[in-house]
Amino acid sequence: MIAVEGLTKIYGHRRALDAVSFEVPKGEIFGFVGPNGAGKTTTLRILAALLDPTAGRAFIDGADVVQHPDRVHDRLGYMPDFFGVYDQLTAGEYLDFYAACYRQPKLRRRKIADDLLELVGLADRRDQSVDTLSRGMKQRLCLARSLVHDPAVLLLDEPASGLDPRARVEMREILKELQQMGKTIVISSHILPELTELCTMIGIIDHGQLRATGRVQDVIRQLTAGRRLRITVLGQREEAIALLKGLASVREVDVSNGSLEAAFEGDEATAAGILQALIAGGIKVSGFTQLEGGLEAAFLKVTTEGIG
Amino acid sequence: MNRIAVALWNPIVEKEYRSRMRTWRSPAAMTVYILLLGGLGWAIFSSEASSAQNSLNPGQAAGFGQSLFLWLIIFQMVLLAFITPALTAGAISSERERQTMDLLFVTRLPPFSILWGKLLASMSFALLLLLLSVPIFSLVFLFGGIELDQLASAFLVTAVAALTLGIIGLACSTAFHRTLPATVTAYGAAFILLAGSFLYGLLFPTAIDLQNASKPVAPPAITYLSPLIPLITIGMNQSISGYGVRNGPFVGSGGYSCSSNNGGPQVCYATAANGAPIGKAFVGQPPSYPPFQQSGTSIPSGLFAGWQYWQASIVEWLVVSAIALVISALLLPPVRRLPWGRRHPSPSLLGETGSGPNA
Repeated sequence: MIAVEGLTKIYGHRRALDAVSFEVPKGEIFGFVGPNGAGKTTTLRILAALLDPTAGRAFIDGADVVQHPDRVHDRLGYMPDFFGVYDQLTAGEYLDFYAACYRQPKLRRRKIADDLLELVGLADRRDQSVDTLSRGMKQRLCLARSLVHDPAVLLLDEPASGLDPRARVEMREILKELQQMGKTIVISSHILPELTELCTMIGIIDHGQLRATGRVQDVIRQLTAGRRLRITVLGQREEAIALLKGLASVREVDVSNGSLEAAFEGDEATAAGILQALIAGGIKVSGFTQLEGGLEAAFLKVTTEGIG
Repeated sequence: MNRIAVALWNPIVEKEYRSRMRTWRSPAAMTVYILLLGGLGWAIFSSEASSAQNSLNPGQAAGFGQSLFLWLIIFQMVLLAFITPALTAGAISSERERQTMDLLFVTRLPPFSILWGKLLASMSFALLLLLLSVPIFSLVFLFGGIELDQLASAFLVTAVAALTLGIIGLACSTAFHRTLPATVTAYGAAFILLAGSFLYGLLFPTAIDLQNASKPVAPPAITYLSPLIPLITIGMNQSISGYGVRNGPFVGSGGYSCSSNNGGPQVCYATAANGAPIGKAFVGQPPSYPPFQQSGTSIPSGLFAGWQYWQASIVEWLVVSAIALVISALLLPPVRRLPWGRRHPSPSLLGETGSGPNA
């Protein structure tokens, strides 16, 4: 549904994007993660045909963002990170205006507005002036605005920024509902725990380079899995520590909550080898678990160390 | 037909009407406009009434009507020159400042439709102000001296001049990201159009080549950009006396010699000190100060020879408007794809630090 090939954007002498490539299949929620200035908004603006890439290509549902911006606009809904609303319009009029801008028939616009206000939980605010809505309500209204032409793809730039926890939960629920409706969604965000729960795919970008991309759990596993083991032993803790420290693959051993945590270099086979060594050393192992790092750990790893 | 209707009446227009008319500023602007225009009319009327004492004869009444009309139409133009740039100079830049521009760009509205919608909405308000002034102008007909076609021409001139100022304001709004510099530039352009071109005629008048002139000359064509020229011409039903022309350097030292043909026009020529004729003979009165000015409301020579002043002005404004509109249309889109534009930087620049995705 979304394909990005070698996207590069240069501002003067600054390379904002450096050969970024990724794909998002239909129906996925793609989380775009990166520190400030990493290139998230630039990527989304190029995908929305609001900015020309210096090099590379991008497609929305098969439409080239440079060659066919009109087709792209037909197929996507865009919610920028910062946006304003028009004074003097009610929520219903606001949606009606954008529905008209998307050339929706006049007779259908009322129903579109009503349905979308219902979807985002603002049905009772239809006749309220837009500028008197709270920040969270405006965010939801803007999301509704991006849906007035029933696009297949949604590009949401920091949709939950500035929202209180309750509004974030509401936004997350709406996005899940949209995914169930078959929309392909790209979200850029700093709120990593929420992305882990919401997104099916993820891309981590830093200094204009895509450091990692793929299914959320794959990326997390790729970047953090197998690095730490939680080992519970029956007595013999000192012997177990001494044995583990003697293994070449183990970097360090800590005691945490009565269990041992061993950081090691290697893969699944290395972990199995450590277990075998413990048992062969006569240690009674009652628990042996690989600790998975979260998205936060993966993010910190690629943005501080880089994996390239 | 549907496409034309959509082009003429797009959602921007409706939204702008709705937003504009829901604020207190619009009725306030209309009230102030009418009060100022009506106040001027009343002041002139009072002044004239006190000087006329008891009654006006038809000639005096016509003169008074003409004077009242001239003051009102010029004042109306000045008022619109203040109002129109303010209406359009923030049209696009305020969308940028409010961060709503991108939301419009991702809709199916082409950039020109956005421009057109903004222009139509703003100029409709200017047109509304013009219409509101009609009852005040109708008072002129109580006195006479002004024909209906003069009123129509004057309103047409005012409307097109306001449209031009509006389009210039829109171009400024497109060119600048902030409303303040856009507004300042739009007012500067309005001043140049209104007063600058008029001053040009005073500073750089057309020189009359008295040795070769065979008919009256007109002020420089650039002066027609000032709405004052056509409005005064329409109001007075004659050209502005002594404006925009001056005597050339080669005036005969012996003065002029004229001979009259029987029943025909008088033929004159400049003479040297010894009485010998210099240059070509010309038809009409010998030039004097104010120099060789044509009578009537048509342009005697130059690019627009034979046209009415107001016609020339309207053509010039439409040309300026078209240029400003094209500039706006080129500047507005978020991604400018000009035929001569460079789409990609040189390979060497791309290759400076190029690298592929890492995962």
